Amino acid sequence: MKKIQMIKNQPLSLISTTKIIQMSNVSTSYDSKNFALKGINLSIDRGTNYAIVGQSGSGKSTLLKLMNGMMISSNGTIKIDYVVPDMNDKKFKKMMHTIGYIPQSLGLIKNITVIENILIGALPRLSKIQSLFKRFPEHEIQEAKRILKLVALSGKENRKVYMLSGGEKRRVAIARALMQKPTILLADEIVSELDHVTAHEIMDLIADAQKQMNLTAIMVHHDMQLALEYANRVAVIKDGEKILEIGVEGEKIVDFQTGDMSAEEIMEMYSNDSKK
Amino acid sequence: MTPKNNIIIGIIIALLVVASYNVDANPIEFIEGLPNLAIVVEEMLLVEPKYVPTAIWAMFETIQMAFIGTIIGFAIALPLSMLAARNLNSKYVYAPVRALLATIRTFPSILWAILFVIMVGLGPFAGVLAIIMYTIGFVSKLQYEAIETIDSDPMDAVSSIGVSKWQLIRYVVIPESASHLLSQLLYMFDYNIRQTSILGLVGAGGIGFYIINYIKFFEYGKAAVFMLIVLITVLIIDWVSVKIRDKYIIKSQHGMEVTTK
Ligand SMILES: Nc1ncnc2c1ncn2[C@@H]1O[C@H](COP(=O)(O)OP(=O)(O)OP(=O)(O)O)[C@@H](O)[C@H]1O
Ligand SMILES: [Mg+2]
Repeated sequence: MKKIQMIKNQPLSLISTTKIIQMSNVSTSYDSKNFALKGINLSIDRGTNYAIVGQSGSGKSTLLKLMNGMMISSNGTIKIDYVVPDMNDKKFKKMMHTIGYIPQSLGLIKNITVIENILIGALPRLSKIQSLFKRFPEHEIQEAKRILKLVALSGKENRKVYMLSGGEKRRVAIARALMQKPTILLADEIVSELDHVTAHEIMDLIADAQKQMNLTAIMVHHDMQLALEYANRVAVIKDGEKILEIGVEGEKIVDFQTGDMSAEEIMEMYSNDSKK
Repeated sequence: MTPKNNIIIGIIIALLVVASYNVDANPIEFIEGLPNLAIVVEEMLLVEPKYVPTAIWAMFETIQMAFIGTIIGFAIALPLSMLAARNLNSKYVYAPVRALLATIRTFPSILWAILFVIMVGLGPFAGVLAIIMYTIGFVSKLQYEAIETIDSDPMDAVSSIGVSKWQLIRYVVIPESASHLLSQLLYMFDYNIRQTSILGLVGAGGIGFYIINYIKFFEYGKAAVFMLIVLITVLIIDWVSVKIRDKYIIKSQHGMEVTTK
Protein backbone atom coordinates (compact mmCIF):
# COMPACT_ATOMS: atom_id res chain seq x y z
CA MET A 1 0.00 0.00 0.00
CA LYS A 2 1.27 3.45 -0.92
CA LYS A 3 1.91 6.07 1.65
CA ILE A 4 -0.87 8.56 2.18
CA GLN A 5 -0.41 11.82 0.36
CA MET A 6 -3.56 13.75 -0.32
CA ILE A 7 -5.41 14.64 2.82
CA LYS A 8 -8.79 16.08 2.05
CA ASN A 9 -10.25 15.98 5.49
CA GLN A 10 -10.54 19.01 7.69
CA PRO A 11 -8.32 19.31 10.72
CA LEU A 12 -10.14 17.92 13.71
CA SER A 13 -9.51 20.97 15.87
CA LEU A 14 -11.67 23.19 13.65
CA ILE A 15 -14.78 21.05 14.03
CA SER A 16 -17.20 21.50 16.89
CA THR A 17 -16.83 18.62 19.22
CA THR A 18 -20.38 17.67 20.15
CA LYS A 19 -20.81 13.95 19.96
CA ILE A 20 -23.43 13.07 17.38
CA ILE A 21 -23.10 9.32 17.80
CA GLN A 22 -22.10 7.49 20.93
CA MET A 23 -21.98 3.76 21.43
CA SER A 24 -20.83 2.10 24.56
CA ASN A 25 -20.34 -1.61 24.90
CA VAL A 26 -22.85 -2.34 22.13
CA SER A 27 -23.54 -5.91 21.06
CA THR A 28 -26.14 -7.27 18.73
CA SER A 29 -27.03 -10.47 16.92
CA TYR A 30 -29.32 -11.74 14.17
CA ASP A 31 -29.82 -15.10 15.83
CA SER A 32 -29.47 -16.17 19.44
CA LYS A 33 -26.17 -18.02 18.90
CA ASN A 34 -23.74 -15.68 17.18
CA PHE A 35 -22.99 -12.04 17.87
CA ALA A 36 -22.77 -9.90 14.73
CA LEU A 37 -21.18 -7.15 16.84
CA LYS A 38 -19.61 -7.38 20.31
CA GLY A 39 -18.63 -4.69 22.78
CA ILE A 40 -18.43 -1.81 20.34
CA ASN A 41 -17.35 1.53 21.79
CA LEU A 42 -17.21 4.56 19.60
CA SER A 43 -18.01 8.22 19.57
CA ILE A 44 -18.29 10.36 16.48
CA ASP A 45 -17.95 14.13 16.43
CA ARG A 46 -20.49 16.24 14.61
CA GLY A 47 -19.40 17.25 11.14
CA THR A 48 -16.67 14.68 10.76
CA ASN A 49 -16.18 12.03 8.17
CA TYR A 50 -15.97 8.68 9.90
CA ALA A 51 -15.04 5.55 8.02
CA ILE A 52 -15.62 1.91 8.90
CA VAL A 53 -13.35 -0.65 7.30
CA GLY A 54 -13.22 -4.40 7.66
CA GLN A 55 -13.46 -7.74 5.97
CA SER A 56 -16.62 -9.14 4.48
CA GLY A 57 -18.94 -10.38 7.21
CA SER A 58 -17.15 -8.44 9.95
CA GLY A 59 -20.28 -6.48 10.88
CA LYS A 60 -19.90 -3.14 9.08
CA SER A 61 -23.40 -3.03 7.61
CA THR A 62 -24.83 -4.12 10.92
CA LEU A 63 -23.09 -1.22 12.63
CA LEU A 64 -24.72 1.25 10.23
CA LYS A 65 -28.15 -0.29 10.75
CA LEU A 66 -27.79 0.30 14.48
CA MET A 67 -27.19 3.99 13.79
CA ASN A 68 -30.47 4.58 11.97
CA GLY A 69 -32.70 2.48 14.20
CA MET A 70 -33.28 -0.24 11.61
CA MET A 71 -31.72 -2.68 14.05
CA ILE A 72 -31.87 -2.81 17.82
CA SER A 73 -28.86 -3.56 19.99
CA SER A 74 -29.17 -6.40 22.43
CA ASN A 75 -26.63 -4.91 24.85
CA GLY A 76 -25.07 -1.57 25.61
CA THR A 77 -26.28 1.94 24.90
CA ILE A 78 -26.51 3.90 21.68
CA LYS A 79 -27.22 7.62 21.47
CA ILE A 80 -27.81 9.37 18.19
CA ASP A 81 -27.66 13.10 18.85
CA TYR A 82 -28.35 12.17 22.47
CA VAL A 83 -31.49 10.20 21.57
CA VAL A 84 -31.81 6.42 21.85
CA PRO A 85 -32.61 5.03 18.39
CA ASP A 86 -36.02 3.36 18.44
CA MET A 87 -38.39 3.40 15.47
CA ASN A 88 -41.41 3.39 17.76
CA ASP A 89 -40.27 6.50 19.59
CA LYS A 90 -41.82 9.68 18.16
CA LYS A 91 -38.75 11.78 18.80
CA PHE A 92 -36.42 9.36 17.05
CA LYS A 93 -38.82 8.78 14.18
CA LYS A 94 -38.63 12.51 13.53
CA MET A 95 -34.84 12.34 13.61
CA MET A 96 -34.94 9.59 10.99
CA HIS A 97 -36.21 12.19 8.53
CA THR A 98 -32.76 13.75 8.56
CA ILE A 99 -30.65 10.60 8.70
CA GLY A 100 -29.72 9.74 5.15
CA TYR A 101 -29.09 6.04 4.72
CA ILE A 102 -27.67 4.48 1.58
CA PRO A 103 -27.72 0.70 1.94
CA GLN A 104 -25.16 -1.53 0.27
CA SER A 105 -27.77 -2.43 -2.36
CA LEU A 106 -28.74 1.28 -2.71
CA GLY A 107 -32.45 0.58 -2.20
CA LEU A 108 -33.62 2.53 -5.25
CA ILE A 109 -36.98 1.91 -6.87
CA LYS A 110 -35.96 0.67 -10.26
CA ASN A 111 -38.97 1.22 -12.46
CA ILE A 112 -39.61 4.86 -11.59
CA THR A 113 -37.59 7.85 -12.75
CA VAL A 114 -34.49 9.42 -11.25
CA ILE A 115 -36.30 12.53 -10.05
CA GLU A 116 -39.14 10.50 -8.53
CA ASN A 117 -36.57 8.52 -6.57
CA ILE A 118 -34.87 11.68 -5.37
CA LEU A 119 -38.13 13.32 -4.31
CA ILE A 120 -38.78 10.40 -1.95
CA GLY A 121 -36.25 12.09 0.33
CA ALA A 122 -38.72 14.98 0.71
CA LEU A 123 -41.70 12.79 1.72
CA PRO A 124 -41.49 13.62 5.44
CA ARG A 125 -42.03 17.30 4.56
CA LEU A 126 -45.23 16.64 2.58
CA SER A 127 -48.78 16.87 3.88
CA LYS A 128 -51.06 13.82 3.69
CA ILE A 129 -52.95 15.24 0.71
CA GLN A 130 -49.78 16.20 -1.13
CA SER A 131 -48.28 12.78 -0.72
CA LEU A 132 -51.50 11.00 -1.67
CA PHE A 133 -51.66 12.84 -4.99
CA LYS A 134 -47.89 12.99 -5.55
CA ARG A 135 -48.07 16.79 -5.48
CA PHE A 136 -44.59 17.94 -4.63
CA PRO A 137 -44.42 21.69 -3.99
CA GLU A 138 -42.49 23.71 -6.55
CA HIS A 139 -39.65 24.54 -4.14
CA GLU A 140 -39.08 20.83 -3.48
CA ILE A 141 -38.86 20.14 -7.20
CA GLN A 142 -36.39 23.00 -7.55
CA GLU A 143 -34.37 21.59 -4.65
CA ALA A 144 -34.37 18.15 -6.31
CA LYS A 145 -33.08 19.74 -9.51
CA ARG A 146 -30.36 21.58 -7.60
CA ILE A 147 -29.20 18.32 -6.01
CA LEU A 148 -29.42 16.58 -9.36
CA LYS A 149 -26.94 19.11 -10.66
CA LEU A 150 -24.73 18.66 -7.61
CA VAL A 151 -24.47 14.93 -8.29
CA ALA A 152 -23.92 15.60 -12.00
CA LEU A 153 -27.10 13.94 -13.20
CA SER A 154 -28.80 16.95 -14.85
CA GLY A 155 -30.61 15.90 -17.99
CA LYS A 156 -31.17 12.37 -16.73
CA GLU A 157 -34.02 13.23 -14.36
CA ASN A 158 -36.65 11.42 -16.43
CA ARG A 159 -34.68 8.24 -16.99
CA LYS A 160 -35.91 5.09 -15.34
CA VAL A 161 -33.40 3.97 -12.73
CA TYR A 162 -32.90 0.52 -14.26
CA MET A 163 -31.43 2.22 -17.31
CA LEU A 164 -28.59 3.83 -15.35
CA SER A 165 -25.02 2.70 -14.89
CA GLY A 166 -23.75 1.57 -11.51
CA GLY A 167 -22.05 4.90 -10.81
CA GLU A 168 -25.16 6.84 -11.83
CA LYS A 169 -27.33 4.72 -9.56
CA ARG A 170 -25.04 5.58 -6.67
CA ARG A 171 -25.43 9.26 -7.44
CA VAL A 172 -29.22 8.88 -7.38
CA ALA A 173 -29.02 7.20 -3.98
CA ILE A 174 -26.78 10.00 -2.68
CA ALA A 175 -29.18 12.59 -4.11
CA ARG A 176 -32.15 10.95 -2.38
CA ALA A 177 -30.26 11.08 0.91
CA LEU A 178 -29.27 14.74 0.37
CA MET A 179 -32.90 15.53 -0.42
CA GLN A 180 -33.66 14.64 3.19
CA LYS A 181 -31.61 17.69 4.26
CA PRO A 182 -29.63 15.28 6.38
CA THR A 183 -27.56 15.92 9.48
CA ILE A 184 -26.12 12.42 9.31
CA LEU A 185 -25.27 10.46 6.19
CA LEU A 186 -24.77 6.70 6.48
CA ALA A 187 -23.34 5.14 3.35
CA ASP A 188 -22.61 1.44 2.98
CA GLU A 189 -19.81 0.67 0.51
CA ILE A 190 -21.16 3.00 -2.13
CA VAL A 191 -17.85 3.33 -3.95
CA SER A 192 -16.47 -0.17 -3.46
CA GLU A 193 -17.41 -1.53 -6.85
CA LEU A 194 -16.43 1.55 -8.82
CA ASP A 195 -13.25 2.33 -10.69
CA HIS A 196 -10.68 4.60 -9.05
CA VAL A 197 -11.69 7.79 -10.87
CA THR A 198 -15.43 7.43 -10.36
CA ALA A 199 -14.93 6.45 -6.73
CA HIS A 200 -12.98 9.67 -6.16
CA GLU A 201 -15.58 11.75 -7.99
CA ILE A 202 -18.28 10.42 -5.74
CA MET A 203 -16.20 10.83 -2.59
CA ASP A 204 -15.38 14.43 -3.56
CA LEU A 205 -19.04 15.08 -4.12
CA ILE A 206 -19.87 13.86 -0.63
CA ALA A 207 -17.01 15.91 0.81
CA ASP A 208 -18.48 19.01 -0.92
CA ALA A 209 -21.96 18.31 0.35
CA GLN A 210 -20.51 17.84 3.79
CA LYS A 211 -18.88 21.25 3.78
CA GLN A 212 -22.09 22.90 2.56
CA MET A 213 -24.44 21.22 5.01
CA ASN A 214 -22.40 20.58 8.16
CA LEU A 215 -23.06 16.92 7.63
CA THR A 216 -21.66 14.05 9.62
CA ALA A 217 -20.77 11.29 7.17
CA ILE A 218 -20.29 7.71 8.32
CA MET A 219 -19.15 5.56 5.48
CA VAL A 220 -18.28 1.92 5.15
CA HIS A 221 -15.32 1.26 2.86
CA HIS A 222 -13.46 -1.69 1.53
CA ASP A 223 -10.36 0.26 0.64
CA MET A 224 -8.22 1.48 3.56
CA GLN A 225 -6.32 3.89 1.35
CA LEU A 226 -9.52 5.60 0.23
CA ALA A 227 -10.85 5.66 3.78
CA LEU A 228 -7.72 7.37 5.09
CA GLU A 229 -7.77 9.84 2.25
CA TYR A 230 -11.21 11.20 3.12
CA ALA A 231 -11.99 10.30 6.71
CA ASN A 232 -11.00 12.00 9.93
CA ARG A 233 -11.22 8.68 11.68
CA VAL A 234 -11.20 5.12 10.49
CA ALA A 235 -12.54 2.29 12.60
CA VAL A 236 -11.42 -1.20 11.72
CA ILE A 237 -13.89 -3.97 12.48
CA LYS A 238 -12.95 -7.61 12.71
CA ASP A 239 -15.29 -10.46 13.60
CA GLY A 240 -17.76 -8.05 15.13
CA GLU A 241 -15.22 -6.20 17.24
CA LYS A 242 -13.60 -2.84 16.78
CA ILE A 243 -9.90 -3.64 16.73
CA LEU A 244 -8.52 -0.24 15.77
CA GLU A 245 -9.44 3.37 15.40
CA ILE A 246 -7.00 5.45 13.46
CA GLY A 247 -6.81 8.87 11.89
CA VAL A 248 -4.41 11.01 9.96
CA GLU A 249 -2.89 14.05 11.61
CA GLY A 250 -0.46 15.83 9.38
CA GLU A 251 1.61 13.13 7.77
CA LYS A 252 1.21 10.77 10.64
CA ILE A 253 -1.27 8.02 11.25
CA VAL A 254 -2.45 8.10 14.81
CA ASP A 255 -4.01 5.23 16.63
CA PHE A 256 -6.81 6.62 18.76
CA GLN A 257 -7.61 3.38 20.44
CA THR A 258 -4.30 2.31 21.95
CA GLY A 259 -1.99 5.29 21.60
CA ASP A 260 0.54 6.37 18.99
CA MET A 261 1.68 3.93 16.38
CA SER A 262 3.68 4.40 13.25
CA ALA A 263 1.95 4.38 9.90
CA GLU A 264 4.00 1.38 8.90
CA GLU A 265 2.94 -0.58 11.93
CA ILE A 266 -0.72 0.20 11.36
CA MET A 267 -0.58 -0.62 7.70
CA GLU A 268 1.18 -3.83 8.48
CA MET A 269 -1.36 -4.69 11.11
CA TYR A 270 -4.18 -3.89 8.79
CA SER A 271 -2.80 -5.95 5.96
CA ASN A 272 -2.25 -8.90 8.25
CA ASP A 273 -5.71 -8.66 9.71
CA SER A 274 -8.01 -7.72 6.96
CA LYS A 275 -6.36 -7.95 3.62
CA LYS A 276 -8.38 -10.17 1.35
CA MET B 1 -35.74 -45.62 -8.99
CA THR B 2 -35.64 -46.35 -5.29
CA PRO B 3 -37.92 -48.90 -3.62
CA LYS B 4 -39.48 -46.04 -1.66
CA ASN B 5 -40.57 -44.34 -4.89
CA ASN B 6 -42.03 -47.62 -6.17
CA ILE B 7 -44.14 -47.91 -3.07
CA ILE B 8 -45.42 -44.34 -3.49
CA ILE B 9 -46.31 -44.97 -7.15
CA GLY B 10 -48.06 -48.22 -6.18
CA ILE B 11 -50.12 -46.40 -3.55
CA ILE B 12 -51.14 -43.68 -6.04
CA ILE B 13 -52.29 -46.30 -8.58
CA ALA B 14 -54.24 -48.15 -5.92
CA LEU B 15 -55.93 -44.90 -4.84
CA LEU B 16 -56.82 -44.13 -8.48
CA VAL B 17 -58.52 -47.49 -8.90
CA VAL B 18 -60.44 -47.22 -5.63
CA ALA B 19 -61.52 -43.63 -6.34
CA SER B 20 -62.63 -44.48 -9.88
CA TYR B 21 -64.70 -47.34 -8.55
CA ASN B 22 -66.29 -45.03 -5.98
CA VAL B 23 -67.31 -42.40 -8.53
CA ASP B 24 -68.47 -44.96 -11.09
CA ALA B 25 -65.83 -43.91 -13.58
CA ASN B 26 -66.08 -46.59 -16.22
CA PRO B 27 -63.98 -46.34 -19.41
CA ILE B 28 -66.32 -48.74 -21.21
CA GLU B 29 -69.27 -46.39 -20.73
CA PHE B 30 -67.15 -43.58 -22.13
CA ILE B 31 -66.48 -45.52 -25.30
CA GLU B 32 -70.09 -46.63 -25.61
CA GLY B 33 -71.14 -42.99 -25.25
CA LEU B 34 -69.04 -41.73 -28.16
CA PRO B 35 -71.80 -42.25 -30.80
CA ASN B 36 -74.02 -39.89 -28.74
CA LEU B 37 -71.36 -37.23 -29.07
CA ALA B 38 -71.35 -37.77 -32.80
CA ILE B 39 -75.07 -36.96 -32.91
CA VAL B 40 -74.47 -33.72 -30.97
CA VAL B 41 -71.61 -32.72 -33.26
CA GLU B 42 -73.68 -33.49 -36.33
CA GLU B 43 -76.54 -31.31 -35.12
CA MET B 44 -74.14 -28.58 -34.12
CA LEU B 45 -72.89 -28.43 -37.66
CA LEU B 46 -76.36 -27.24 -38.63
CA VAL B 47 -75.36 -23.79 -37.45
CA GLU B 48 -78.12 -21.22 -37.65
CA PRO B 49 -76.44 -17.99 -38.77
CA LYS B 50 -79.47 -15.80 -38.12
CA TYR B 51 -78.72 -16.11 -34.41
CA VAL B 52 -75.32 -14.48 -34.78
CA PRO B 53 -76.48 -10.92 -33.91
CA THR B 54 -78.27 -12.16 -30.76
CA ALA B 55 -75.17 -14.14 -29.83
CA ILE B 56 -72.91 -11.13 -30.32
CA TRP B 57 -75.18 -8.97 -28.22
CA ALA B 58 -75.25 -11.62 -25.45
CA MET B 59 -71.48 -11.85 -25.60
CA PHE B 60 -71.23 -8.09 -25.31
CA GLU B 61 -73.35 -8.20 -22.19
CA THR B 62 -71.07 -10.93 -20.84
CA ILE B 63 -67.95 -8.86 -21.51
CA GLN B 64 -69.46 -5.86 -19.76
CA MET B 65 -70.36 -7.98 -16.75
CA ALA B 66 -66.84 -9.39 -16.61
CA PHE B 67 -65.35 -5.92 -17.03
CA ILE B 68 -67.33 -4.36 -14.17
CA GLY B 69 -66.78 -7.39 -11.98
CA THR B 70 -63.04 -7.46 -12.60
CA ILE B 71 -62.41 -3.74 -12.07
CA ILE B 72 -64.55 -3.40 -8.95
CA GLY B 73 -63.33 -6.69 -7.51
CA PHE B 74 -59.73 -5.75 -8.16
CA ALA B 75 -60.17 -2.32 -6.59
CA ILE B 76 -61.73 -3.79 -3.46
CA ALA B 77 -59.08 -6.52 -3.27
CA LEU B 78 -56.10 -4.14 -3.43
CA PRO B 79 -56.50 -2.44 -0.02
CA LEU B 80 -57.36 -5.79 1.53
CA SER B 81 -54.17 -7.24 0.06
CA MET B 82 -52.15 -4.41 1.58
CA LEU B 83 -53.57 -5.46 4.94
CA ALA B 84 -52.92 -9.14 4.22
CA ALA B 85 -49.26 -8.75 3.22
CA ARG B 86 -46.96 -10.06 5.91
CA ASN B 87 -44.18 -7.62 5.09
CA LEU B 88 -46.41 -4.62 5.77
CA ASN B 89 -48.46 -5.60 8.79
CA SER B 90 -48.33 -7.23 12.16
CA LYS B 91 -49.80 -10.67 12.67
CA TYR B 92 -52.86 -9.19 14.33
CA VAL B 93 -53.77 -7.42 11.13
CA TYR B 94 -52.83 -9.87 8.40
CA ALA B 95 -54.08 -13.06 10.07
CA PRO B 96 -57.78 -12.05 10.29
CA VAL B 97 -57.73 -10.43 6.84
CA ARG B 98 -56.23 -13.56 5.33
CA ALA B 99 -58.83 -15.70 7.05
CA LEU B 100 -61.59 -13.52 5.61
CA LEU B 101 -60.11 -13.70 2.11
CA ALA B 102 -59.65 -17.47 2.37
CA THR B 103 -63.32 -17.82 3.28
CA ILE B 104 -64.37 -15.73 0.28
CA ARG B 105 -62.12 -17.86 -1.91
CA THR B 106 -63.74 -21.14 -0.90
CA PHE B 107 -66.89 -20.38 -2.95
CA PRO B 108 -66.75 -21.01 -6.68
CA SER B 109 -68.29 -18.23 -8.77
CA ILE B 110 -71.33 -20.33 -9.60
CA LEU B 111 -72.20 -20.59 -5.89
CA TRP B 112 -71.86 -16.84 -5.45
CA ALA B 113 -74.14 -16.46 -8.48
CA ILE B 114 -76.82 -18.69 -6.93
CA LEU B 115 -76.55 -16.71 -3.71
CA PHE B 116 -76.95 -13.36 -5.48
CA VAL B 117 -79.79 -14.62 -7.71
CA ILE B 118 -81.62 -15.38 -4.48
CA MET B 119 -80.69 -11.94 -3.10
CA VAL B 120 -81.25 -9.61 -6.06
CA GLY B 121 -83.20 -11.80 -8.49
CA LEU B 122 -82.41 -13.23 -11.92
CA GLY B 123 -80.29 -11.23 -14.34
CA PRO B 124 -76.86 -9.80 -15.05
CA PHE B 125 -76.59 -7.83 -11.79
CA ALA B 126 -76.46 -11.05 -9.79
CA GLY B 127 -73.73 -12.21 -12.17
CA VAL B 128 -71.72 -9.02 -11.70
CA LEU B 129 -71.91 -9.37 -7.92
CA ALA B 130 -70.77 -12.97 -8.18
CA ILE B 131 -67.78 -11.99 -10.33
CA ILE B 132 -66.85 -9.22 -7.88
CA MET B 133 -66.82 -11.63 -4.94
CA TYR B 134 -64.94 -14.27 -6.85
CA THR B 135 -62.38 -11.73 -8.06
CA ILE B 136 -61.81 -10.41 -4.54
CA GLY B 137 -61.09 -13.89 -3.22
CA PHE B 138 -58.94 -14.97 -6.09
CA VAL B 139 -56.95 -11.89 -7.06
CA SER B 140 -56.21 -10.78 -3.49
CA LYS B 141 -54.10 -13.88 -2.99
CA LEU B 142 -52.13 -13.10 -6.13
CA GLN B 143 -51.81 -9.48 -5.03
CA TYR B 144 -50.54 -10.07 -1.53
CA GLU B 145 -48.14 -12.71 -2.75
CA ALA B 146 -46.79 -10.23 -5.29
CA ILE B 147 -46.46 -7.60 -2.56
CA GLU B 148 -44.62 -10.02 -0.33
CA THR B 149 -42.08 -10.84 -3.02
CA ILE B 150 -41.06 -7.24 -3.68
CA ASP B 151 -37.46 -6.41 -2.97
CA SER B 152 -36.96 -5.59 0.70
CA ASP B 153 -34.04 -3.22 0.02
CA PRO B 154 -36.03 -0.25 -1.30
CA MET B 155 -38.60 -0.90 1.42
CA ASP B 156 -35.92 -0.74 4.12
CA ALA B 157 -34.19 2.23 2.55
CA VAL B 158 -37.39 4.26 2.32
CA SER B 159 -38.75 3.27 5.71
CA SER B 160 -35.44 4.31 7.25
CA ILE B 161 -36.40 7.86 6.21
CA GLY B 162 -39.23 7.54 8.72
CA VAL B 163 -42.07 7.88 6.18
CA SER B 164 -45.61 6.84 7.06
CA LYS B 165 -47.05 3.47 6.14
CA TRP B 166 -49.27 5.08 3.49
CA GLN B 167 -46.36 6.84 1.91
CA LEU B 168 -44.47 3.57 1.84
CA ILE B 169 -47.37 1.90 0.03
CA ARG B 170 -47.88 4.79 -2.37
CA TYR B 171 -44.22 5.35 -3.24
CA VAL B 172 -42.61 1.92 -2.93
CA VAL B 173 -45.08 -0.95 -2.77
CA ILE B 174 -47.31 0.15 -5.66
CA PRO B 175 -44.52 1.08 -8.10
CA GLU B 176 -42.50 -2.01 -7.23
CA SER B 177 -45.44 -4.35 -7.79
CA ALA B 178 -47.15 -2.41 -10.58
CA SER B 179 -46.18 -4.72 -13.41
CA HIS B 180 -47.37 -7.76 -11.48
CA LEU B 181 -50.63 -6.05 -10.61
CA LEU B 182 -51.29 -5.09 -14.22
CA SER B 183 -50.55 -8.59 -15.35
CA GLN B 184 -52.95 -9.98 -12.73
CA LEU B 185 -55.65 -7.57 -13.83
CA LEU B 186 -55.40 -8.78 -17.42
CA TYR B 187 -55.34 -12.40 -16.36
CA MET B 188 -58.37 -11.92 -14.15
CA PHE B 189 -60.37 -10.19 -16.90
CA ASP B 190 -59.54 -12.97 -19.32
CA TYR B 191 -60.54 -15.58 -16.75
CA ASN B 192 -63.71 -13.74 -15.75
CA ILE B 193 -64.98 -13.65 -19.33
CA ARG B 194 -64.88 -17.44 -19.41
CA GLN B 195 -66.52 -17.61 -16.00
CA THR B 196 -69.24 -15.11 -16.81
CA SER B 197 -70.05 -17.17 -19.88
CA ILE B 198 -71.35 -19.95 -17.68
CA LEU B 199 -73.10 -17.93 -14.97
CA GLY B 200 -76.21 -17.93 -17.17
CA LEU B 201 -76.63 -21.55 -16.13
CA VAL B 202 -78.08 -20.35 -12.85
CA GLY B 203 -79.86 -17.35 -14.36
CA ALA B 204 -77.25 -14.76 -13.53
CA GLY B 205 -77.17 -13.19 -17.01
CA GLY B 206 -74.69 -13.41 -19.84
CA ILE B 207 -74.38 -15.66 -22.85
CA GLY B 208 -74.53 -18.89 -20.85
CA PHE B 209 -78.24 -18.37 -20.33
CA TYR B 210 -78.85 -18.93 -24.06
CA ILE B 211 -76.47 -21.84 -24.32
CA ILE B 212 -78.00 -23.76 -21.45
CA ASN B 213 -81.54 -23.19 -22.68
CA TYR B 214 -80.86 -24.31 -26.23
CA ILE B 215 -79.07 -27.38 -24.95
CA LYS B 216 -82.00 -28.18 -22.67
CA PHE B 217 -84.29 -28.19 -25.71
CA PHE B 218 -81.82 -30.15 -27.84
CA GLU B 219 -81.31 -27.21 -30.21
CA TYR B 220 -77.62 -27.86 -30.63
CA GLY B 221 -77.37 -25.85 -33.85
CA LYS B 222 -78.42 -22.68 -32.07
CA ALA B 223 -76.28 -23.44 -29.03
CA ALA B 224 -73.33 -23.91 -31.38
CA VAL B 225 -73.62 -20.32 -32.64
CA PHE B 226 -73.36 -18.98 -29.12
CA MET B 227 -70.50 -21.30 -28.21
CA LEU B 228 -68.63 -20.29 -31.31
CA ILE B 229 -68.95 -16.62 -30.38
CA VAL B 230 -67.57 -17.38 -26.90
CA LEU B 231 -64.66 -19.22 -28.46
CA ILE B 232 -63.84 -16.38 -30.85
CA THR B 233 -64.10 -13.77 -28.08
CA VAL B 234 -61.85 -15.70 -25.75
CA LEU B 235 -59.26 -16.07 -28.49
CA ILE B 236 -59.37 -12.35 -29.26
CA ILE B 237 -59.06 -11.36 -25.58
CA ASP B 238 -56.20 -13.78 -25.20
CA TRP B 239 -54.40 -12.27 -28.16
CA VAL B 240 -54.99 -8.71 -26.96
CA SER B 241 -53.72 -9.46 -23.47
CA VAL B 242 -50.57 -11.04 -24.87
CA LYS B 243 -49.99 -7.82 -26.83
CA ILE B 244 -50.56 -5.62 -23.78
CA ARG B 245 -48.32 -7.83 -21.68
CA ASP B 246 -45.51 -7.63 -24.23
CA LYS B 247 -45.81 -3.91 -24.58
CA TYR B 248 -46.13 -2.80 -20.97
CA ILE B 249 -45.21 -5.58 -18.61
CA ILE B 250 -42.28 -7.33 -20.19
CA LYS B 251 -40.84 -3.95 -21.14
CA SER B 252 -41.13 -2.51 -17.68
CA GLN B 253 -39.37 -5.53 -16.24
CA HIS B 254 -36.64 -5.52 -18.79
CA GLY B 255 -33.32 -4.72 -17.21
CA MET B 256 -34.61 -4.94 -13.70
CA GLU B 257 -32.29 -6.71 -11.38
CA VAL B 258 -35.04 -8.48 -9.55
CA THR B 259 -37.62 -10.30 -11.61
CA THR B 260 -39.99 -12.59 -9.86
CA LYS B 261 -41.95 -15.30 -11.57
N1 LIG C 1 -30.20 -10.60 7.87
C1 LIG C 1 -29.29 -11.36 8.48
N2 LIG C 1 -29.64 -12.51 9.11
C2 LIG C 1 -28.73 -13.26 9.75
N3 LIG C 1 -27.42 -12.99 9.81
C3 LIG C 1 -27.00 -11.87 9.20
C4 LIG C 1 -27.90 -11.00 8.50
N4 LIG C 1 -27.19 -9.97 8.00
C5 LIG C 1 -25.93 -10.19 8.35
N5 LIG C 1 -25.78 -11.32 9.07
C6 LIG C 1 -24.53 -11.85 9.64
O1 LIG C 1 -23.97 -10.88 10.50
C7 LIG C 1 -22.58 -10.77 10.30
C8 LIG C 1 -22.21 -9.34 9.93
O2 LIG C 1 -22.83 -9.01 8.70
P1 LIG C 1 -22.69 -7.61 7.99
O3 LIG C 1 -23.66 -7.57 6.88
O4 LIG C 1 -22.79 -6.55 9.02
O5 LIG C 1 -21.19 -7.70 7.44
P2 LIG C 1 -20.40 -6.67 6.55
O6 LIG C 1 -19.17 -6.33 7.31
O7 LIG C 1 -21.26 -5.55 6.14
O8 LIG C 1 -19.99 -7.55 5.30
P3 LIG C 1 -19.85 -7.15 3.74
O9 LIG C 1 -18.54 -6.45 3.59
O10 LIG C 1 -19.84 -8.47 3.04
O11 LIG C 1 -21.02 -6.30 3.40
C9 LIG C 1 -22.22 -11.79 9.23
O12 LIG C 1 -21.70 -12.91 9.86
C10 LIG C 1 -23.53 -12.11 8.56
O13 LIG C 1 -23.54 -13.46 8.14
MG1 LIG D 1 -22.01 -4.95 4.37
